[in-house]
Amino acid sequence: MLASPPHGTTGRTQNDMRISRAFFGAAAFLAAAFGSGLTLAADTPLAYPHRVVTLVTHSSPGGGSDVFLRDLVRHLRKHIDATFIVENVSGGSGTRALARVANASPDGSVLYATTPTYILTSLLSQAENSYDDLEPLVNFFTDSEIVYTRADGPFMTLRDVIDHARAGRGRWGAANPASLERQAAEQLKRAAWVDAAVVSHEGGGDLMINVLNGTLDIGVGEIGETRAQLEAGQIRILAVFNPHRMAAFPDVPTVQEYGYDVVMEKFRGLAGPKGLPPEIIAIWNEAAQRLLADPEYVASYEAENLFANFQSHDDYAPFIAEFAGDTEGFLRETGVIP
Amino acid sequence: MEDFLLAVSLLFTTPLIAVAIAGLVWGILGGALPGISPSISMALLLPFTYTLDPMSAIVLLATAYIGAEYGGSIPAILIRTPGTNAAAATVIDGYEMRRQGKGGEALGISLWSGFIGSMFGLAMLVLLTEPLSQLALAFRPTSYFALGVLGLSVIASLSGKSLLKGAAAAILGLMVATIGTDPISGVGRFTFGSPDLLEGVAPIFVMVGLFAVSELMTHSGIAAHAIDQKETIRVRLPSLAMMNRLKRSQIIGSIIGTFEGLMPGAGGSIASFLSYNEAKRWSKHPEEFGKGSPEGVAAPEASNNTVASTALIPLLSFGIPGSNSAAVLLGGLLIHGLLPGPRLFEENTEVILGLYMGSFVAIVAMLVAGILILPLCVWLVNRPRPYLSGFIFALVLSGVYTVHVTLFDVGIVLVAGLFGYAMRFFGFPFLPAVLGVVLGELVESNYRRSLVLSGGDNAIFLEDPIAVGFLIVAVLFVVLALVGEWRSAARLRKGVKA
Repeated sequence: MLASPPHGTTGRTQNDMRISRAFFGAAAFLAAAFGSGLTLAADTPLAYPHRVVTLVTHSSPGGGSDVFLRDLVRHLRKHIDATFIVENVSGGSGTRALARVANASPDGSVLYATTPTYILTSLLSQAENSYDDLEPLVNFFTDSEIVYTRADGPFMTLRDVIDHARAGRGRWGAANPASLERQAAEQLKRAAWVDAAVVSHEGGGDLMINVLNGTLDIGVGEIGETRAQLEAGQIRILAVFNPHRMAAFPDVPTVQEYGYDVVMEKFRGLAGPKGLPPEIIAIWNEAAQRLLADPEYVASYEAENLFANFQSHDDYAPFIAEFAGDTEGFLRETGVIP
Repeated sequence: MEDFLLAVSLLFTTPLIAVAIAGLVWGILGGALPGISPSISMALLLPFTYTLDPMSAIVLLATAYIGAEYGGSIPAILIRTPGTNAAAATVIDGYEMRRQGKGGEALGISLWSGFIGSMFGLAMLVLLTEPLSQLALAFRPTSYFALGVLGLSVIASLSGKSLLKGAAAAILGLMVATIGTDPISGVGRFTFGSPDLLEGVAPIFVMVGLFAVSELMTHSGIAAHAIDQKETIRVRLPSLAMMNRLKRSQIIGSIIGTFEGLMPGAGGSIASFLSYNEAKRWSKHPEEFGKGSPEGVAAPEASNNTVASTALIPLLSFGIPGSNSAAVLLGGLLIHGLLPGPRLFEENTEVILGLYMGSFVAIVAMLVAGILILPLCVWLVNRPRPYLSGFIFALVLSGVYTVHVTLFDVGIVLVAGLFGYAMRFFGFPFLPAVLGVVLGELVESNYRRSLVLSGGDNAIFLEDPIAVGFLIVAVLFVVLALVGEWRSAARLRKGVKA
């Protein structure tokens, strides 16, 4: 690239034009319609001002965001011309990872994998750096939050669960005390006007055991964490907190369809230090859409039941701000923070 | 049979043996470094597995787990610092034996017991995964609470001379366990706005501080020549007679370890303390416990090594990790696109067989590796005191620093060391405090979880037969200990009068 700048530059411009035209419509449709044209474009990765890009996560190796990033990186190489490194910054309940990114130079060389955890951590700790010090870049996915019960249990629909809780007292579980799952369960309880104990656990594994052995009526969790039991036929999905039904489970209704106005979106995307330059934002807006349409990546993330939910920088920042506002309200109402 | 032949063929057609030994040696080193827990040594390996095939990756991680659980006993015996949580109980008699110049023997016993425990655990994993996994489901929050109480009831036998001081130390430990995010509501407690305290104080840091730092502080006050023992401690495996004597405590340890491994959250620490307690109760020489009993080394070591295999049972059959280390292994499986659960056994038979075979290779290699590594460790700890103390300080603090790369953790260890020094000075035992830190969260969170379930009614504990059983046993332990204490006090009074 450095050896022949003029040639490289013209090549890039042509590609850019082709891609921007290609992405005016729905990416999936175009992937089929202009298959050949897109392949050509996708074959040439977008130029990036940095050779090495560090993607930081609070998640330890093998954790949710770590797995997300590593899979992302594997496919991202085809679309952005840079080397991506995943850096796990553990400790301080995720605040150290936030600090690492917030204090990096805002040039697009250091980015952070966002999930609701980074909002929750910021709100719960009085750490120096919070979600406010990061600039949301793009969103990739919504992780489905589901309501599930044991397959040999008495509950066939979410209605049964609510009726049971109305008749006596429900026993509902969520993975962690300060989590989107607990928020979902508490809001459902309020929306349905029923009495239910919302029991928080120390992770999804604990919760699963208590659902399987009948201690709890239902569990609220990420679909990814329940895959093993789902495939073994040990649990049944009763409802999903997404705004739409899941593609892989078209028969599972949303919580909203039951008449309870509770929607939860566990987002997965990227953020950077405050003040990212517009050209970096433009590259990611484009690369994210290309990536989500990449057939190999599609196969990979659909197997994980991730729901492609692209949000450009312009949509993502207000979304995060609204999400943070809702979450803060929830934490105050439940007395977690003063 | 077909599976067996396939498993054997894996030995020759894949780099299984090399991977298993590499994992084992890495694990032993990680386990032996104070502050580096088994899960951390495994997590450090994880990036290396990305490029390996799934089977080798899993074998590497699983054998590192086996190695780490064993490795933790080496510093426990040699420098009175457990390398892992689960090796804390080994300190009692292991270090006592070393002080009596029988360190080599103690190392041999822990190696042999680790071998037995690991083999037992592996046999359980291979043969009984199906029935044992059902048992894991029988545990409810009420049962976990009762299990934690049972663990705490062991304090009496860890207290040494004064039950009162033991109880005081345990309460101190329980208080430390309340620091951090409230397990039920998510409110921060005693964190003083510091994000570093949100996750609480890791038991391993408390142990490293209490044992290692306070020991080093004590030594710095004693003239080097006064405590320099020049005896050579040769590492040797137990004789046949000794093996025979250890049998009972190893069986106790292995059985308790099997059950503890099944229970998510319980882990090797409770197993080794309970095994120590039971081995003492059933021993022909209970009076030797605490004064350098070989059985006191064998029981906890057999037990924590059993856990390293049986903790994989809930992981492989449900995808539910039973410990932090199992959680790292779960991560390893997921990264390679393997989904634990019943289908793993059908669809990825090769990975499972490889795991069994690799574990077997590692356990056998453990005996050899131990015999090769141990003399080096012994040589190291026999250097002149000032050098040794400096070296251990550097080793411990750098180990602690590596975990989260923060000086805050180093501070925790140093503060715990100061506490340890004061406790030593006033004759307070460490182990009850350690037990308090380890079990505090288990007891508290499950007690409160049970009450949330019942709406505040304590009768919920009576509805769970497992909980009732555990609680009865716990009460018996405490009563027996009190009676024993009262009797010896009475005897003492009589002696004074006479």
